[in-house]
Amino acid sequence: MGRIVYAAAMSHVLYPDYYGQNVGPHGRRMVEELIAVVREMGRMLAAAAPDALVVIADDHLNVFSFDAIPALCVRVGRTVSRMVQHDAIEFDRALDGLPERYLVHEDLANAILEKGVQAGFDFAASWSAPLDHAFLSPVGTLYGERPVPPLVPFWVNCFVSPQPTAKRCFEAGHHIARVVTEGPWSVAVIATGGLSHFPELSLARIGQSDPAFDRRIVKLMEAGDHGALAALTAKELHESGSHELLNWLVLLGAVSPARARVRFYGEMGRVDLAALEWDVA
Amino acid sequence: MSRYETNVVLYRLKKDAAFRNRFRADPRRALADADLTNEEREAFARWDTRKLNDLGGMLHLLISIPGLGTH
Repeated sequence: MGRIVYAAAMSHVLYPDYYGQNVGPHGRRMVEELIAVVREMGRMLAAAAPDALVVIADDHLNVFSFDAIPALCVRVGRTVSRMVQHDAIEFDRALDGLPERYLVHEDLANAILEKGVQAGFDFAASWSAPLDHAFLSPVGTLYGERPVPPLVPFWVNCFVSPQPTAKRCFEAGHHIARVVTEGPWSVAVIATGGLSHFPELSLARIGQSDPAFDRRIVKLMEAGDHGALAALTAKELHESGSHELLNWLVLLGAVSPARARVRFYGEMGRVDLAALEWDVA
Repeated sequence: MSRYETNVVLYRLKKDAAFRNRFRADPRRALADADLTNEEREAFARWDTRKLNDLGGMLHLLISIPGLGTH
């Protein structure tokens, strides 16, 4: 019987130059502190020796164009590439220096996809989508020079309205946990993004976050109040700039009823940063 | 429809370096065949990112186009 051996969620632009340029020394220092914590978390993750790492993250319109935006998408196939963006701006440059190709855990990815469709989740599948910073900045920070286990990338449409609901994301996570339990593998699950930033996806509001909202949702995760989190509305997520919390909702569905332990929390102003772990062992 | 076209142009500006160079040299000419409203076309021509965002242009595209993205 398989099991989830490690679970965590964290902000995903783990790239000091981005914050140095856009926030200043205070932002750079804060993300450097977060990176140090995520590296420590990576030692625990590596010690758990998972057969596969499910990474739940979002696309920043790097991979899926307006031709089709999947609500929830499983990356299948044997390997997955790092996104290539020529002349990239800062947060796309978080990919610089990372490996160009990663293994996909094909059997687990196929099981999540196929059993999901059987269970009523109309997951999209991609055989070719590459990974942007939302996936690889955390993976690269967690693993450093250590070998990365085969990945199961799982996309959530966090930005293009209408997004999947928080409740649906939570249910998708519960489905992933069920597939893991039915399989033979030890699996780690991470979700990335957040906390609040870019409220209303408005250019005019760049630089704002919603610390009150972030404190509330972190407390709910510490308390294991997943019902309240799954009941968050699209309006609440949009207005607070918490679009990427949908990734975390998938993870919460996978680990529920476990409670979170806060490893890092910081209110930067432009974006609030966090890294949390769940006791799943 | 216009929102779709606006974002198609933004996506292409991010991903297609040749198109981006043509746009930077002469935005009106580069967009001559794009199915945009006059308001959208003007916003592109002036590279008025706030206006493009108000018209439905996605924030993450507006801030990440090489050489044009603004934070």
